[in-house]
Amino acid sequence: TGGPCILADSREISSGPEVITYLRTTHGVRVDICSLGGCDYIVSNRLSVERKSQSEFSNSANRSKLVERIKHLRSMFERVCLIVEKDRVKPGETSRLFQRTKYYDSTLSSLISAGVQVLFSSSQEETAALLKELVSLEQRKNTGITVPTQVSGHKQEVLNFYLSIPNVSYITALNLCHHVPSVSQITNSSVEEIVSKGNVSKQKAEEIYCYLHYVFDPKMLQPSDKRKQSVV
Amino acid sequence: MATTQSTPVRAGASAVPYGHVIVSEKWRGTELAQLLQGKVNLMFEDGLGLVDFHLPQRACILYISETDLVSGNEFKRRLVRFRKASNLRGIVLAERTRLSDQYYSPVQNFVVLELGMTLLPVTNRSEAAQLIFHLIQERSREGGSNPFIGKKRCHLSEASILQTVQRIPAVGRVKALQLLHHFPSIQELSNASLRDLEAVVGRGFASNIHSFFTQT
Repeated sequence: TGGPCILADSREISSGPEVITYLRTTHGVRVDICSLGGCDYIVSNRLSVERKSQSEFSNSANRSKLVERIKHLRSMFERVCLIVEKDRVKPGETSRLFQRTKYYDSTLSSLISAGVQVLFSSSQEETAALLKELVSLEQRKNTGITVPTQVSGHKQEVLNFYLSIPNVSYITALNLCHHVPSVSQITNSSVEEIVSKGNVSKQKAEEIYCYLHYVFDPKMLQPSDKRKQSVV
Repeated sequence: MATTQSTPVRAGASAVPYGHVIVSEKWRGTELAQLLQGKVNLMFEDGLGLVDFHLPQRACILYISETDLVSGNEFKRRLVRFRKASNLRGIVLAERTRLSDQYYSPVQNFVVLELGMTLLPVTNRSEAAQLIFHLIQERSREGGSNPFIGKKRCHLSEASILQTVQRIPAVGRVKALQLLHHFPSIQELSNASLRDLEAVVGRGFASNIHSFFTQT
């Protein structure tokens, strides 16, 4: 404990294996692989990092996917960082010339206005170095990940319960899991207590508090929920 | 240079009308200014100090040329002075060319991670003009039209709560609805006594649910 720790989504094993390897071997960062569901890396209690290849980022066909993803991250985390990484050139291929488009510039402009931090990387190796810088910065600000990231048995069930609260991130659920002995202690907590137990902002704690106290009305269930719940 | 020393950032330049940009006099007649002309309203002004362009909504641009990047630390001092003197949103545009490419990564660490400003690469002045145009456009749109800010997803709370209750081991949809009928919020459900729960779902389930909430 005490060393830098990053949570990586299991999908990153195939899409960015070198990032994880460099983090572990070159930078001495503990990288724990979890199923983060819609987020690439969690670097601290408040910061998530999304990794996109330049070709994926600059292709306007991916616009709505990107918008949904960033909105989702912004609803869960106080800070969102996007790393745009140059595509890897396969042996025998020449690197394609990158054409800067209107779409590219306007997307960058919107992201910056929305307060998303954008970083550019030329390789998986550089992405790892950037993640290392970010995790060190967050540690200096006392927002680094300090709880154990692997849970089992009853704690796993409790984690899943917390994860079902809308806009609660994996790290917030983990913090709640480890900082509070029983679930009923959370459901009876004040907003201030949720702030300190979950390591979240006051606003996020209020959201959680409201959800736990929300009075369920079966008449409000949409017909579509009768089969399987889906977010519209 | 003397004026730059005394007024690092011009006061009052924070209120730029939509679709306009205040441009430092030193850019007059340059290729970059010509490329912007006609697309946005340029207003040239003297004495902007460290800033090259003032944009709407309290943003401004500091431009770092290829030569600045290659020749060293002068631009870093400029950025630090800007950061200390101003609370405007500083966007740094840096010319990342084949020549200056190797300097980009440490500069990115410095500008973004240390100073907490934004850094965007351009390869030449015409790319810079395009990007500046879009930055102005973005800051000139009516509020709420930023796709990344747009309203938070509206979750159907009822459906979410039903899902949450079903995360209690061995509780399916039917049991969850029964429970919520008697204890309509998660908080109430968590405080239900064993006896109250037994009356709704029977002894076995009741003890499961009760221990889920109270087990430490």
